This record gives sequence, C-alpha cells and structure tokens, in this order.
Amino acid sequence: MDFKLTSDQEALVSAVDKLAEQFASKPTEFHGFALAGRGLEQELEDGQYFDIAQVPELGPLCAALAVERLARLPYTAEIALSMLVRPQLPGEWPRPLAVVENGRPGRFVATAKTLLVIEGDHIGIAQPGASDVEAVESLFAYPMGQLQHKHTCKTERLSDSDAANIRKWLRVALAAESSGLLQSAIASAVDHLSQRKQFGRPLGTFQALRHRMAECAVLAGGVRWLALKAASTADAGDAALAGFHAQESATRVAYDTHQMLAAMGMTLEHPLHLWTYRLKALLSDLGGRGGQALAIAESCFGVT
Amino acid sequence: MDFDWDLQQQAFRSTVRDFLAAHLPSDWESLAHGPGSESQSAFSKKFCAQLAAAGLLVPHWPERWGGRDADPWTAFILAEEMWEAGEPRGGQYMNVNWIGPTLMRFGSEEQQARYIPPMARGETIWCQGFSEPEAGSDLASLRTRAQKQGSSYRINGQKIWTSYAGHAATCFLLARTAAGREGISIFLLPMQTPGILVRQIPSLIGEGDIHEVFFDDVEVPESALLGNEGQAWEIVRTALSLERVGIPRFALATRMLHRAVDTLRQSGRFGAGAIEQAARARAACEAARFYSYGIVDQRRHGVAVGPEASAARFATVMAERLVSEFVVEHAPEGLSGRDPLLLAHHQRAVVAGIASGAAEIQLNLIATDLLRLPREPR
Repeated sequence: MDFKLTSDQEALVSAVDKLAEQFASKPTEFHGFALAGRGLEQELEDGQYFDIAQVPELGPLCAALAVERLARLPYTAEIALSMLVRPQLPGEWPRPLAVVENGRPGRFVATAKTLLVIEGDHIGIAQPGASDVEAVESLFAYPMGQLQHKHTCKTERLSDSDAANIRKWLRVALAAESSGLLQSAIASAVDHLSQRKQFGRPLGTFQALRHRMAECAVLAGGVRWLALKAASTADAGDAALAGFHAQESATRVAYDTHQMLAAMGMTLEHPLHLWTYRLKALLSDLGGRGGQALAIAESCFGVT
Repeated sequence: MDFDWDLQQQAFRSTVRDFLAAHLPSDWESLAHGPGSESQSAFSKKFCAQLAAAGLLVPHWPERWGGRDADPWTAFILAEEMWEAGEPRGGQYMNVNWIGPTLMRFGSEEQQARYIPPMARGETIWCQGFSEPEAGSDLASLRTRAQKQGSSYRINGQKIWTSYAGHAATCFLLARTAAGREGISIFLLPMQTPGILVRQIPSLIGEGDIHEVFFDDVEVPESALLGNEGQAWEIVRTALSLERVGIPRFALATRMLHRAVDTLRQSGRFGAGAIEQAARARAACEAARFYSYGIVDQRRHGVAVGPEASAARFATVMAERLVSEFVVEHAPEGLSGRDPLLLAHHQRAVVAGIASGAAEIQLNLIATDLLRLPREPR
C-alpha cells in the first residue's frame, strides 16, 4: 500500500487539470439541461487521453483518476466508458461508447459509434448507423439518446466471461465518474452555504446544515477510495462495492445539495443540476443498487 | 499510488495471524465479551506478555523502548488483526498506541523508566481519566482539581465513563491546576493511591467496561506531573494525533458481517432485502478501511494528518452502525446466546460514535476544516 502518486501519475493528473481549466465554468448564457463539451472531447482526443489505460506506465488507475477529475467539470463528454471500458472490449471498437440497458434511453446513445446493448444477463456490441439512434429530451444533464425500435444494427453477443468483465469495468467507470460529480455537487453547495445569509449569518454556520454536508463529504470521500481501489485491483468484488457505494451516496448527496441550495438549485442558471442530474442518470446503471448488491453477494459473499 | 500490500507487509500480517492462531484458546470467543471483564483482563495480561516476547506488542516503538522502529503500516496491520480477532490485548491497546509514545515525548526520565518498560513487556493496564459528569465533549470544562501543597498535589473530583479503571494500575489523569483551558495538567496516578474509589457502571457495552472514579484528597508527589502545569492541552493534542487513525473497527465489523451472512445463507434466509442491506454495510466497511489506510499512508510519508482523520472516524462509525443494524434485523439470534463474538461486536459498536469523542464533534471538524464552511457562532 502506498497512496503517493508516482511521478507518471502526478504528471498525468497535472496535465488533465491543465486541460480542464478552460472548461471549469459554466457559460453564463447557458440555461439548458446538458452542457456538452465538444471542445473538451476534441482536446482529449488530440492528446490521446482516451488511451491512457493502455499505456503501461499509466494503466486503468490513471484512467480512473482522469475520469474523476474531468467529471468535476460543468461540461460533459463521453469520457468514462472510453477511458475505462473500451480497452476491455474484445477487439477494436470506435468511440464514443454508450450503453443501452434493457431498451432504455442512455447517455450519449445518439452520438455513439459503439453501443453496449444490455438485455437481461447478456451484453452485445453494436455499431449503430445514424438512423438507428435518436436524441431524446431529458432532465438528465447528459445528451440522452435511444436505440430506435426498428433499428437495423447487428449486435454481436459477448461471451459470458467477456460480459462479466465488461460489467465489472462499467461499475468502475460508474464509480470514478460519480466520485467527481459528488465532489462538484458538494463544492457547489458549500459555496452557496458560505455566501448566502439568513437570520443575519451565513447558512453554513447552522449546525443542522453543516452536519448534513459533512456526512455528504464523508460519503464522497469513500466513493473516491473505492473507485480508485477497484480501478487498481480490477477485482469484481471491489468494482461492485464501488458501484454500490457510488449509487448509494449519489441518492443522498443529490437530495441534500438541492436542499442546501433551495430554489436557487432549481434554476437552470445555477450549475448544481449539471452534477446532480448526472448523478441521477447514473443511479439506474446496471440495475441500480439492487443490481450492484447482487454482484456484491456473488463476489464478496460467495452467493452463486 | 499502489493498492497492493508489499511482500514485507504480507509477511508481517501472516506472522500476526499465525501468532493469533497459536495463542488464542479455543474458548476465546466467549472470553472476548467485555474487554474490561475479570476473565479477559487476566487473559490479556498473559497474552500481551506473549506478544511482547514475540516482538509483536510494540514493533513501532523505538528500539530503546523495546520496539524496532517499524513504520505506521506495521502498527496498523497489527491493530487490524488484533481488533478483527476481538482485541485480545484488552485495554493494553491504549498503552501501545498512545500512552507509551506520549510518555516517550513528554515524560521525565524517572517517569519513562518507571512506566514504559512494563508497557513494553505487556504487564500493565492504564485507564484514561478524561470525561467527567459535567465535561464530556466540552472537555476543557473539567472540574477535578489538583492543588499544589509543598512538593505534592492533592486531587479532588470525579471522573466517569472511565474504561478499564477496575483493573488499571495507573491513570492518565486530567486535572485542573488553574482556571481555563491553559489551567489543565496531566498526572500519572497509581490507582492504588489512598483516596481513590472505583465503581463499575453496569452497561450495555460489557462487563467491567465503564466506571466512575472518585478522588478524595488523593495525594501525589509533584513527580507525578507529566510535562509542566497547564500543558495538558498540548500533550493531549499530540496524544490524539498519535491515535488519529483510531481503532480499526471496520475489521471486526467486516468479519461479523460475513459471519452473519453465512448464518443466513446456511438457513436459506439471505433474500433480496438482506442482500441489499449486507451490500450497503460491506461497502461502508470497505470505505472506512481505505479512509483509515489513507491516514496511515499520510503518517508513513510524514504528512501532517488533518481533518481527513475525522472523516475516517465518521466513516468507521457509519460502517459499525450498518453492520450492527444488519445483525439486529437479520440475525438477532447471535445476540441472544448463540454467538458470543457477534454479541461482543454489537456491544463495541454501540459506543463507536461515542467513545474517544462524539461523532457529531467529528462532523463539526469536517465542516470547518475539510469543507471550509464558516464556523458556528459560540
């Protein structure tokens, strides 16, 4: 055990942070639901950041660190699956990636070049044509899309072992992305509580609110540890624990941060929803907490 | 960043496990209830002496005091394995973790020579005279007085919730020598000194655990003063920083969760509701584990430990709570005579958010020092 970043890891993290700087603020004129970061995606593509998990000195842990940091931004792009799941697919598949789970709309489905199609226990891979997918309106702060009912794309079914491996890395991606989102949602609420005054003093001086935020911070820190550990060990149990804790923490933090911001957090002018409604979008991944719990039962408690 | 144990760490853990397997008696689990009980206190003295003889009681202490200057990971692996086994060291874990190291830093030569060797040999139990009826979280309001009279002090007052006082040879006592926070001093007080009365408080948390201790004109020589008059706050802060990681409660909690799950599986009762609750508790235990590891790693790298320690402590409290509630709801038979170690765990979990400072105080610290929220008015 040694949690000090290596020089390679430190260099990667600094480079990601530097790249992220220009995308750190929501444009004041943006009042929409999903703030798509095409410029961010292009920068990542140009810098070959989507391939860092395959670089031996960096690996999936570095990819998770990058996913987490980029998820803090108000802008979003398909990053987590490309960095953490794509390297695990059998064969070469183009990015962006998206997941269609049991026919539901999903993040980035309308623009994905590779789809992971989850139907019950099976996962298939497909390359959709433009007419196979469509964008859908949504509160969730990602560009959401769905597979058309009468799509013509062919799905190649993964073997059971490949499917299990992909589920594992989907959980790592879910946890790493959630970690960054949780941090930004909390920071946003802390900022508000530090400035907004009621009864003649900042809201953040009231213990009832301070304790709730402190509990949120503890949850977020736990998600970070579990996400990074799972990325490092590539263990199915670690991934399931990270996925569960991420979804568990997201329910609490999304609710509490909106309570802290009250009506201000309801507006599209304030960026809070960009993180909380991404967290809410991630809540249903892989069967939600019930799905992760079954994976924990299998991997950690030996239930077959 | 590396999440694997290195070979040395793996070997040390195996050594500790082998020692436990060889030295814990077959009826250990029924002994493990109540770390302050007669039976466990007697066992712990024997066990700690064996640990010391094997070089496993104080490996992280300096060589001069019987250790081998092992790094913080060694100390924590040792603590993890001990707690997971039900803490066969009993109250002596306090000596090892912070009382000994605090005396090494602040004690006089005479105090060090008198008190440290018996700790290193595993022969002695200490108690911590901090809380009082009117001074809990607000420790600085304590009232027990130590009045200087010539070359001695006379101590009058009362402590409460004092763990292990019934078997302790010495008390690490906080008493007031003047007004205010700067007027608190520390005395190393032999418990056999005339004028000390110890009364056990029957409690949920096990036989012989908590006590009231009364001090009626107790006379101690000035050589019993640790450091200088009024230095208590500084010394306690240092002592707490040595203890920042806290007890690795997640280790026994995880073990007990698995045991409860095994019981449910064997009887066909591990259904969907129980699975989700067990998963929640298991994830919380793992989060607490890595929070604690993060603090150990900071100490290993010589980084000053900050408010993350409070977060680690609160994460541990939550893990204890979830495991404890899981057992109560799904495997309550364990608490009704079927499993003494499950019962012992439950009793220890009851105080997880209370002993060593209320969890709500940790939340205050997290809000101020980690989140940087504005302070509450006082």
